[in-house]
Amino acid sequence: MKSTCKFMFLSLVAMVFMACSDDDETPQLQAVESRTANNIPAPQTGEQGEPAGGPFTKFSFATGAVTSSETDWDIAFRGTIIAVNGGAATGTNDEPARNGNAAAFLATGTFASITSADGLSFIQDADGAFAVPTGSDNGWYNYNFMTNVVSPIPGRILMVRTFDGKYAKVEFLSYYKDAPAAPDGSVDEARYYTFNYIYNPNAGETSLE
Amino acid sequence: MNLNKVLAPLFIVVSTSIIFSQKKVAIADSLVLETLDEVVVTATRTLRQLSSIPLPVTLISKKQLRQTGVVRLNEILNEQTGIITVADESGFDGVQIQGIASDYVLVLINGVPLVGRSAGNFDLSRLTVGNIQQIEVVKGPSSSLYGSEALGGVINVITETPKDSSLNGSVSYRFASFNTHDANMALRQRIKRFGYSFFANTLQSDGYDLRPDIQGQTVDPFENYTFNGQFFYDFSDNLVLFTSGRYYNQRQESSLSVEEDLFEGSSDIDEFNTHLRLDHSTGKKLHFQYEFYATRYKATEILESPITADVFSESEFDQNMLRPEIRATYSLKPKHTLITGVGFAHENLDRTFFDEQVTFNSQYAYTQYDFFPFEKLNLIIGARFDDHSEYRSQFSPKFSSHYALGPYLSLKGSVGYGFKAPDFRQLYFDFTNSAVGYTVLGYNAAIDKVRELDEQGQLTDILFDTSELGEPLRPESSVGYNLGASFKKGRLATDINFFRNDFENLIDTRIIARKTNGQNVFSYTNFNRIYTTGLEINAEYKLAKGLQISGGYQLLYAKDKEKKVALERGEIFARDPQSLQTVVLDNSDYFGLVNRSRHTANFKVFGNVPLWDLNFNLRINYRSKYGLFDGNGNGILDDFDTSFVDGYAQANVAINKTFHDDYTLQIGANNLLDYTDRENIPNLPGIQGFVKLNIQF
Repeated sequence: MKSTCKFMFLSLVAMVFMACSDDDETPQLQAVESRTANNIPAPQTGEQGEPAGGPFTKFSFATGAVTSSETDWDIAFRGTIIAVNGGAATGTNDEPARNGNAAAFLATGTFASITSADGLSFIQDADGAFAVPTGSDNGWYNYNFMTNVVSPIPGRILMVRTFDGKYAKVEFLSYYKDAPAAPDGSVDEARYYTFNYIYNPNAGETSLE
Repeated sequence: MNLNKVLAPLFIVVSTSIIFSQKKVAIADSLVLETLDEVVVTATRTLRQLSSIPLPVTLISKKQLRQTGVVRLNEILNEQTGIITVADESGFDGVQIQGIASDYVLVLINGVPLVGRSAGNFDLSRLTVGNIQQIEVVKGPSSSLYGSEALGGVINVITETPKDSSLNGSVSYRFASFNTHDANMALRQRIKRFGYSFFANTLQSDGYDLRPDIQGQTVDPFENYTFNGQFFYDFSDNLVLFTSGRYYNQRQESSLSVEEDLFEGSSDIDEFNTHLRLDHSTGKKLHFQYEFYATRYKATEILESPITADVFSESEFDQNMLRPEIRATYSLKPKHTLITGVGFAHENLDRTFFDEQVTFNSQYAYTQYDFFPFEKLNLIIGARFDDHSEYRSQFSPKFSSHYALGPYLSLKGSVGYGFKAPDFRQLYFDFTNSAVGYTVLGYNAAIDKVRELDEQGQLTDILFDTSELGEPLRPESSVGYNLGASFKKGRLATDINFFRNDFENLIDTRIIARKTNGQNVFSYTNFNRIYTTGLEINAEYKLAKGLQISGGYQLLYAKDKEKKVALERGEIFARDPQSLQTVVLDNSDYFGLVNRSRHTANFKVFGNVPLWDLNFNLRINYRSKYGLFDGNGNGILDDFDTSFVDGYAQANVAINKTFHDDYTLQIGANNLLDYTDRENIPNLPGIQGFVKLNIQF
């Protein structure tokens, strides 16, 4: 773990260095993209109590859309579970194969207050554990049994390293179709992600302002 | 269990210590005070005039119970300043005093505790008011006298005793909305050395349905019975016996529909109380009370399919308590009273979701010195020590004082420690939700159960250090401060009381392990620190002969100290309902704990027309808006939450007309304004009319 961190740090330094030295030759960095992804469906099979199944919905920050590519995806959704395209298989049914170097980190703050992915201890999916912890209050959401509503925990910002070493930050807004302001657990259709994100298309650039 | 073994040494210790310190002093004036009006016993365990007590006490008289036409204890308490009954997150009703939940309020009947709580809540509607002489509520901690559970307050129900040598009593019948019938029968007699009383009550109702659109009723039909027999015998002027046996039974229908299937069943409660007390005076200044008390609370619930007889759910709860206690009261000189008590409590509980029957044993001793260093200054110093088999020993001191500033004005103040022992559930629960798959474990059961789950390969992560659980769970505790003044002159009586209760080691659940199914294993731990603070004002004014008005108000702030710190640091967020984006919250956005209204108030008019043998009353109770739960996932109730319930007022009226001295006809209505909030306040039906006939003989 420590050695990977060191390695990541070194490679970051190297990339930054390279970026600096490139400055003279390449004209300008590409602009940071700020977008909203609406109603990304994340269906799953299996009733409550049974093991969940079905394919994950894969998402790419570069295209800003759902993708069917086996390789060019960054994060993937099924129900409340989020997988990243990096690390090892967790052992979950029907999960996608990881073949990139994606990773995730849950930061605390407002979307605006977190401006960089620099210095974060990104983690990848591993055997038996998702990089984004599952379960209510463990990861990105809270499940209220009184109202039967899944709501993104306010102040949790998902920091993402993409499969190809770029950075993004994500604020989940809703788990329900068309992002109603006050979802009704028995009426509104669940398993539709709406989130704001900022994506820096320059490899290794950690700035997310 | 061999009680003699326990009792005998206790008895010897107390009697010798008292006898050695015996000196000649005049008789305690407590007996003299008894003949005066407005005398309470709960605050000091001696008879004291209400106006001279250094603690905030609410007294509800028989007269008020009769005139208002209430039938259960919760109804009348709800009309007192600073006391409300609320349903908590679990859906069960309980009383809240100074913003402190029912879990921390001790309920006594004739000075001995009642057991049987649902998720910590004591259901006060279990008690009929039919044979109640008076109700005393002492606010603030009283663990120095009563031990566990007496943090927020003590409610003591005192039943009627026979006084006349002729057979006397009453019968009454009351009919109310929702096909509700309440009938009472009371008989009592005092023949020289011998006295007895017998009381029976039944309450039956069809219940009501606030939401016909949803399968099942809001409150299902129920019927209950209360029987209470008491027997008194004076062996001599110095040796007086009191015995009481009480039985309560309730049966309530229940039904549940799960998708297409309908399940029906019932929930049953049986409660027994046996109370023996021997009052023994040795000389004029030393007085003993030997008390034996046993109680059992049994609740069962079953839901099954009426067609296939498949059992959907079945649960049982069987709690027993046995408590001998000896008290000695010693009057050093007039108005200087020393009380010492020692006791032993044995409790056990057998219930669904426990591995086996669990037992608590505790020994305790308390002492209190009540004296007047100067004529106008009364001081009470007391402390109690509780030694318990399952948690740390507790030492609960209390100090209170009363100062008469003049003929009309007096000041009072008190500081006391209160605690609540971890309950059986917090220690021994073992429950796994079959539909969702999470697990809840009691603190003492957690280590073994987690290891068991781990060996079965059900866990992905264990999030606690097992050595941490070696330390016993600490009791929840509080320090309560009360500072007040009262003024009484001519037609006006008014008082004000500031209160603050600082709670520590509140027990709540935390996640201790993660399961392979993505769910969590929860267990209990001490972590929260909260406070409740505010002020209470009461005023009573006699407008004219036979016409009295009164009003009461409580201002309340109840908050979590940890959350306040987190808010200060900018660590708590909420989602703006418009943009759905996160915003940082600060303390100005924090509403406080759930179920607490900032303002509660009441206004009452009591009128009496002796010429017509008629009296009437109107009581209005108001509570301001409150939040039911954190609805936006940030762990606090804040301005962005949508779970708030609007403030509301409830008005109750009753008119009583007496014919031929002994026949009283009563008509009235509760919730006259017909206020309902069918989604948020299921325990408040619409307007309920009633008519009652009472015959005194």
